[in-house]
Amino acid sequence: MKISMDWLKEYLPVDHSVEEIANKVSLTGIESAPVKLGTDLSKLVVGHITSIKPHPDSDHLNLCQVDIGQSKEVQIVCGAPNVANDQYVIVALDGADLPAGKKIKKGEIRGQVSNGMICGLDELGVKESLVPTAYQKGIYVFPAAETPGQDAKELLGLNDEMVDLDITPNRADTLGMRGAAWEIGATYDEKPQFTDPKLDETKVKAVDDVKIQIKADDLVTDYLVRTVSGVKVSESPLWMQRRLWNQGIQPVNNIVDAANYVMIEYGEPVEVYDLDKLDDKSVTVEMATDASKLVLDDKITKDLNQNDLVINSGNVTLGLAGVIHGQNAQVTSKTTNVLIESAVYDGTSVRKAAQRHDLRGDASNRFEKGVDNGAVEISLNRVVELIDEITDLDSYSQVLVGKETPAKPTIIKASIEHINRLMGITLTDQEMIKILDRLGFTTAENGDQLTVTIPSRRWDMTIEADLIEEIMRIYGYENLKGTLPSGNETNGGYTPQREFINKLKSVLLSEGMDETITFGLVSKKEATDFNTVESEYTRVLHPMTEDHEYLRTSLIPGLIKTIAYNKARKTSDISIFEQGRIFDREEVNDRPKEVEYIAGALSGDLGADTWNTNAKKADFYDMKAIVEELLEFLNVEATFEFTPTDKIEHLHPGQTAIITADEKTVGFVGKLHPEYQAKSSVDDTYVFELNVYSLLALTKKNVKAQSAPKYPSVSRDLAILVDKQIASGQIVKDIFNNGGEYLKDVNIFDVYQGSNIEIGHKSLGYHLIFQNPNDTLTDDTVEKAFTQIKDSLIDQFDVEVR
Amino acid sequence: MSLNDRLKELRASGIDDAKRAEHLKDLNDLRVKLLGKKGPITQALRGMKDVPKEERPEIGTLANNVKKDIQEAIENRIQEVNQRIIAQKLQEETLDVTLPAQSHKIGTKHILNQTIEDIEQFFIGLGYEVAPGYEVEEDHYNFERLNIPKDHPARDMQDTFYITNELLMRTQTSAQEGRDMDAHDFSKGPLKMISPGIVYRRDDDDATHSHQFHQLEGLVVDKNISMADLKGTLEALCRHVFGPDREIRFRPSFFPFTEPSVEVDVSCFNCGGEGCRICKYTGWIEVLGAGLTHPNVLKMSGIDPQQYSAFAFGLGPERFAMLKYGIDDIRDFYTNDVRFLEQFKGVN
Ligand SMILES: [Zn+2]
Repeated sequence: MKISMDWLKEYLPVDHSVEEIANKVSLTGIESAPVKLGTDLSKLVVGHITSIKPHPDSDHLNLCQVDIGQSKEVQIVCGAPNVANDQYVIVALDGADLPAGKKIKKGEIRGQVSNGMICGLDELGVKESLVPTAYQKGIYVFPAAETPGQDAKELLGLNDEMVDLDITPNRADTLGMRGAAWEIGATYDEKPQFTDPKLDETKVKAVDDVKIQIKADDLVTDYLVRTVSGVKVSESPLWMQRRLWNQGIQPVNNIVDAANYVMIEYGEPVEVYDLDKLDDKSVTVEMATDASKLVLDDKITKDLNQNDLVINSGNVTLGLAGVIHGQNAQVTSKTTNVLIESAVYDGTSVRKAAQRHDLRGDASNRFEKGVDNGAVEISLNRVVELIDEITDLDSYSQVLVGKETPAKPTIIKASIEHINRLMGITLTDQEMIKILDRLGFTTAENGDQLTVTIPSRRWDMTIEADLIEEIMRIYGYENLKGTLPSGNETNGGYTPQREFINKLKSVLLSEGMDETITFGLVSKKEATDFNTVESEYTRVLHPMTEDHEYLRTSLIPGLIKTIAYNKARKTSDISIFEQGRIFDREEVNDRPKEVEYIAGALSGDLGADTWNTNAKKADFYDMKAIVEELLEFLNVEATFEFTPTDKIEHLHPGQTAIITADEKTVGFVGKLHPEYQAKSSVDDTYVFELNVYSLLALTKKNVKAQSAPKYPSVSRDLAILVDKQIASGQIVKDIFNNGGEYLKDVNIFDVYQGSNIEIGHKSLGYHLIFQNPNDTLTDDTVEKAFTQIKDSLIDQFDVEVR
Repeated sequence: MSLNDRLKELRASGIDDAKRAEHLKDLNDLRVKLLGKKGPITQALRGMKDVPKEERPEIGTLANNVKKDIQEAIENRIQEVNQRIIAQKLQEETLDVTLPAQSHKIGTKHILNQTIEDIEQFFIGLGYEVAPGYEVEEDHYNFERLNIPKDHPARDMQDTFYITNELLMRTQTSAQEGRDMDAHDFSKGPLKMISPGIVYRRDDDDATHSHQFHQLEGLVVDKNISMADLKGTLEALCRHVFGPDREIRFRPSFFPFTEPSVEVDVSCFNCGGEGCRICKYTGWIEVLGAGLTHPNVLKMSGIDPQQYSAFAFGLGPERFAMLKYGIDDIRDFYTNDVRFLEQFKGVN
């Protein structure tokens, strides 16, 4: 809410600049910003139109003679449809500044001299929705005679300075001028001074024919009414109008405006009804039915339902309680008797209704955050007082009670020692009591214990911690000296999982892969494409877009999307990885398991063509090399096997391997299927994905240092011809199975198929290394092992040893 | 010609030949030719028998000197030739050292993870555990245990991706607080934890909003934890991240799960407090929210708020990175343009 300095000064002697106040209030209470109106306006005066005649050469322009407080009247050409003789209007003089850099110049309009411009409020920067309806399509007319030549900007409140409080939901007590005055007063150690409304008791006439019924007792805390007779509905006086439009409220008429004015003054929404349009002078607060309708205006009717709390009169719904008053029983120019309602409704009910019908506004904003139920009657009386002041009422009723809940102060007990300990400060009892007094709280002291009585206007205060916050913020956080927790030492660090993940990532970084982070919520297609864990899909109930609707089941789609994004930006040589969670759900559960995965992708060239090297196109083996290096770093007992597979949809059936350890699948590596690749707008791309938890579960190798071998190793080369379908991995596995205890290593040095090789066959060459750590190997021993290897290969795979 | 003269002549011509030799091979040949057993000096000494006996020792000495001088001349020349060869080799091997080298590229860690790890390392040094959390969380931990019951207006403030009525994409890493307090054995000492991770909100993605972003929660529960401890801790953090000269200030704020609650500003690292575009001419930049844990939150974990107290804070790694490196579009973190990613090589 914007706190007008002009208004605030009625309660508080503050003469600081708005900038200074906003800064100080921000630091002690509520985030605030200074607002200065009309800084772009100049040379605006009150003008009195003394005669008017049509422009000789125009069918819509008029020539106005205007008294602007100078010795001679001036002529101004005006095209507004509502201009008339004897109006007091806003005149922008020759040289006047208007918003957006507009400048007014004396000149001629169709041959007639015009010494300025008669203005509408919107031309002065007031939002059109805040301009009284009668003046929205034309010039503004002052409601009463003003002195010609007087500064119009000041008169219209357009020079006001304000502090804009951006409140947190707990500080709705400052959504009224009085609450704000308490807050700003506490900041400056000044107590605000208020005068309470005084009604003319001689005008009170007992009323017994108004019927009030509260049927939804649990949603209504207070419901007080007064009726007033003999109102003269008209425009509000200027002082009220200007305060309203500066608050963002459109002036309507003096009755509605008085109610809105009191809402700003006390923070308490008040509603007014045309008493004579109520059915049998009755109002009922009750739940709507699913058939109820609320007519807002000629165009909009809202369908209500049984969750809506409404104000009814007979069969007619007048309004949505605490949210909006519809068209029925509105106060109009013909109204003479008014029912004024001051109530407190359940905040949650109001908030939901306002949300449901998309009708959030000034009243619902206050009810949903809470209002002071100690100010219900005083607000009601204030509206009566204002209307009486403006229209001189014939009479008014006593307070008619639909429901009343006595406002009780809150009592909070607090320990001086505890307050100081929790803050890390050393305030004395007297210092604390003085701070609480600035806030208008009264304190009784008994040893270490403070008993604090808090008025109902601060309904946010309930426990000792609230009190501590008040003391601390008024004392000033800038007076708090930082310390570090002084308790027992603790051992900080990562979890073993996180340590492991950090290691995996460091390997991939050193392999030249950039780390990416993509979205956990993906499209249905992305959730489906690489669901190798065969998870049930998990969907969010109200997605913002189809792109982010399902929880991901693989990291691969995010990587492919990243490659496509980069390729579209002319970067096609990509080496990236992501470490993140996938969501694996079983059908019987709502909740998916969150499984840490790591995945990578290579696309385009490795490196770039340079002056001395040629770029190499990435291939399956480049991707596999990275995976193998990563697995090597795991330092586990298990050996990893790469088994060819054509079962992973969207991967190349001839260039994909499942990776297993101890016969359990831990991931895969492969090339994207050419069709999928094309659809995804990427070049040849190789990917891998590994389940971090599966890798972490593998038994760690117990590394014991061994001295370098003392005895020489012996090597043998083995060349075989074998069916093309047999994978080298199978051959190597068989060699190890039959090579005896001294076979140390097997390296493939040749793969060949083509001329000189039987069709459907390939030639493979292996380098075998034998070593006995404790003795020199004899030729005999090696030859025996070598023969066993060859025999087995012939037996198992029908190879031809060459 | 006397033998004496003959030897002197051989010396003169041998030295001359050595000096004129251009190749190592020629010099070796010269050595063999002049000083070998079949060489001219040996040949000449055969004439010794015609020399009078008393002159023979003198001739012998001369012959040795001649050999030595020739030998020396050859070796000197060898050295000269060698030096010339090396000089020529060096000349030939000279490279343009300004040409670029072929690098082995090392990948770049994502700037968000660099930012998070920098903060993690800071807190690990202060004895904090790094707790992972769940991205799919129960309503119970994400809201109710944080003093945000059903129907609380704060639930409107953070629009949530629900999966079922009770299950949601967590909207805040504070959801980890309840889980960690429940699990902690306070007889073993204080709870000091940070919990970084991904959170989700129902926001449209634009330059300043992302439906997915990161948070890092911190929580310390012990006897005698104070607001001053919170200030000192965050002061040290801000100096670690934004520079040793930074000051911080607290402003009152509101969060349902802390009381008192504060917003924390750090003095502008760009202008040092003078006022500039980054700090919107205030000299201060809002960086995080914090407070003393609300007694209700402690009670829900079975912790007696009279005996224990706690502070908590939550910060946004995206915001930290955007401020520190002048990143102006949050979407850049998630589109992963490698040119964007690689500019942060080694910044942390
Ligand atoms: Zn700055």
